[in-house]
Amino acid sequence: MKISYNWLQNYFEEKLPRPEEISEGIIFHSFEVDEIEKIKDDTVFDIKILPDRAHDCLSHWGIAKEVSMIFNMKISSPNGFLKLISEVQPLKPVIGWTSQSETSLKIEIENDKCLRYMGRVVRNIKVGESPSWLKEKLNAIGQKSINNIVDAANFVMYDLGQPIHAFDLDKLEGESLIIRNGKEGEKLTTLDKKEINLDDSILIIADEKSPLAIAGIKGGTKAEVDLNTKNIVIEVANFDATTTRKTAKKINIQTDAVKRYEHGITPELCPIVMDSISEIIYAIAGGEVESIIDIYPNKVLQNTISISVEYINKRLGSDFSKEEIESVWNKLNFVYRELDGEYKIEVPFLRADLIGPHDLTEEVIRILGYDRLVEKLPEFTKDSQITNNTYLKLLLVRSNLLFLGYGEVMTYVFRDKGEVEVLASATGKNFLRTNLTDGLRESIKLNILNLPLLDLKEVKVFEIGTVFFNGGEVMHVAYGDKKNVTEVNIDDFCEKFNLLSEDNLHVESPSQNDTEKKIFKMWSNYPFISRDVAVWMPESDDKEQLKQIFVEEGTDLLIKAPFLFDSFTKEGRTSYAYRLVFQSYEKTLTDEEINPIMEKITSKISSYGWEVR
Amino acid sequence: MKEEIKGREHPLSLIINDTIKIFTELGFQVATGPELEDVYHNFDALNVPKDHPARDMQDTFYIKGDTNKVLRTHTSSVQIRYMEEFAKSGKKPPFAIIAPGKVFRNEATDATHEMQFYQIEGLFISEDISMANLKGTLSYFYKKMLGEDTNLRFRPSFFPFTEPSIEFDLMYKGKWIEMGGAGMVHPNVLDKCGIDSTKYQGFAFGPGLERLMVIKYLMPDIRPAYHGDLRFNQI
Repeated sequence: MKISYNWLQNYFEEKLPRPEEISEGIIFHSFEVDEIEKIKDDTVFDIKILPDRAHDCLSHWGIAKEVSMIFNMKISSPNGFLKLISEVQPLKPVIGWTSQSETSLKIEIENDKCLRYMGRVVRNIKVGESPSWLKEKLNAIGQKSINNIVDAANFVMYDLGQPIHAFDLDKLEGESLIIRNGKEGEKLTTLDKKEINLDDSILIIADEKSPLAIAGIKGGTKAEVDLNTKNIVIEVANFDATTTRKTAKKINIQTDAVKRYEHGITPELCPIVMDSISEIIYAIAGGEVESIIDIYPNKVLQNTISISVEYINKRLGSDFSKEEIESVWNKLNFVYRELDGEYKIEVPFLRADLIGPHDLTEEVIRILGYDRLVEKLPEFTKDSQITNNTYLKLLLVRSNLLFLGYGEVMTYVFRDKGEVEVLASATGKNFLRTNLTDGLRESIKLNILNLPLLDLKEVKVFEIGTVFFNGGEVMHVAYGDKKNVTEVNIDDFCEKFNLLSEDNLHVESPSQNDTEKKIFKMWSNYPFISRDVAVWMPESDDKEQLKQIFVEEGTDLLIKAPFLFDSFTKEGRTSYAYRLVFQSYEKTLTDEEINPIMEKITSKISSYGWEVR
Repeated sequence: MKEEIKGREHPLSLIINDTIKIFTELGFQVATGPELEDVYHNFDALNVPKDHPARDMQDTFYIKGDTNKVLRTHTSSVQIRYMEEFAKSGKKPPFAIIAPGKVFRNEATDATHEMQFYQIEGLFISEDISMANLKGTLSYFYKKMLGEDTNLRFRPSFFPFTEPSIEFDLMYKGKWIEMGGAGMVHPNVLDKCGIDSTKYQGFAFGPGLERLMVIKYLMPDIRPAYHGDLRFNQI
């Protein structure tokens, strides 16, 4: 989520640390920060809110609370935007609306997937352009300004994390809102002009006659607030997370509201948000505020967690003191009491992710800092032999085939035909392989083309891997060359080569004794040119001298050490046949570039009195 | 040319071999499990509730015509299978396992992402295995693998199957590199497998191995790993 630095600052009397410090603090105590962007005189963080905190941290308030905890800074009360409004529009007393009048609004919840519904009518407002502070705030986090009412609703959502909707009261049939299931045949046109066919799995907000909005997802055009709107109903409601998520998927609409509801915001947030949105609307659009209708059938119960200092230190392997642990409870604004070494903690409604002591353990270590953990290697009972049968077979088969001169390859599991099919695949290859042979044949073909680059006389490859049938998966091994590929079940292979004999069964994992650092060199994708040179030399002469000529005269284009592919001795002379491979990382080479190099090599060889065959 | 030429091993196998060697020498046992996994072992038993947004974190390959099967999205499913068997056999912790295996995610491929890749799952359960032990074990492993001048740090993260959950970075050649996720096994996961979470605790980790290969051998791109190209076997 995009979080504005200036917006955050509104929560604190004290000056915030620099944006870079804020970002670092958040990364090591709360969430990843994907990006920090300077926008005019503001800085905007793109913060990757973790799924278990999306219910309280997809908001500036949520992040302000994290910042307060990380940097030990007090959040000023009330929330920042109130101060902001009173600074910008000092003429209007922001608490004027508390002299609210009776309301004629009626709300009815017909489905228990609506957990709470607060509605409030505001009459005689002026819809129009938003004040510049509001536009700036929204612009900073990439939101367009629409009008003061819509902007206010969006602002409070990004501020407090609770979606808000506003209906044009005069477009309603009667002054009632009904939260019910849709009916087959009912339709709704969304604000962005998408027509949705409703059914009884879709929770909607309706007036006495027809649907107005899809609950928690998107408003409809029927009661849209526009520039002529005079009277509105503000909705601050809570809908079941799973239902909202499923419906959004079904009708394929993703909105900022869905993103919040699907993570289970607490219904306890509604009153705070209703106050905030009312105050802002009153301040920037005027009007007469009526009293709230609040339908809240099943009040959420507050969770209490018991936890001890010992529990925390045992899980973490730490040695935190009572005072340090209590400092965490205080930073989190927990109400707690201690009884016989156990803390009874009343978890704030806004921390629905804190279920048990394991969750509080995480709070302790992330707030005190993971750098406080001291690395400790545990005690083990040692037995380094491989006893897992599947892995043992894999090791034995692999070492057997490597010994026989086969090179190991790995190919893709996804193919364009097979028995087991995946629902969707980013590559379009939707089937799982039923054999390794097809992939191995492609590998052999590719490697034969590259043979001069491989220092091999012939291509021999193998793969050990899983293949998939309707009945399930089996581990196969396939090995072969350009003539023939053999594929068998790994058990059959082991049996055939008698790999599972008693003396083979005490195996440790092989490992490289790499004292020297090995570095991979990516190959060039341009074609190579290979030239074979065979030279007669007196038996007593050293072939290394010949090799040196190749290296010296071959220029940088000679991309490999010369490969000796044949040699034989006859009548006191030895013939050495070397393969030279030329390739560029920048272009396709031509014979015209290689011929002069070969001529130089030939003449150098002749100058030693050796004969090029 | 009479001498026998040994075939060359795939670099990922080399990485896996070294990894297994380091962990088995410490006392971990190798464990394995199926690639075509059931939804229970891949999600439910790992404390990922149905219809929970956490299932979106991983782009899962679901199997056509069988709503109960997926290509495993992580080797964490091997944890579950091992612990279920372990509990059924009547044995009591401690136990420590290391499980290398291929996993699958349906995402676009690029130089650092593939639809199939290797993960290595580690799990250590006893009466008192702690988060400090997790840090000690991972740190030991990376120092053995990449050299003594590496450093480990933890950052907060979220996985449904661990609590606390962390992401760990490695300081290697002057840069912090994101390596993988880990944490303390969630009590719900232990209980589901039949291991008493009020008595036992422990850690789990599951970094990807391609990342380690790329870092260790300075590879620019992981994609050639699955092209069957022998030029890749140059280590």
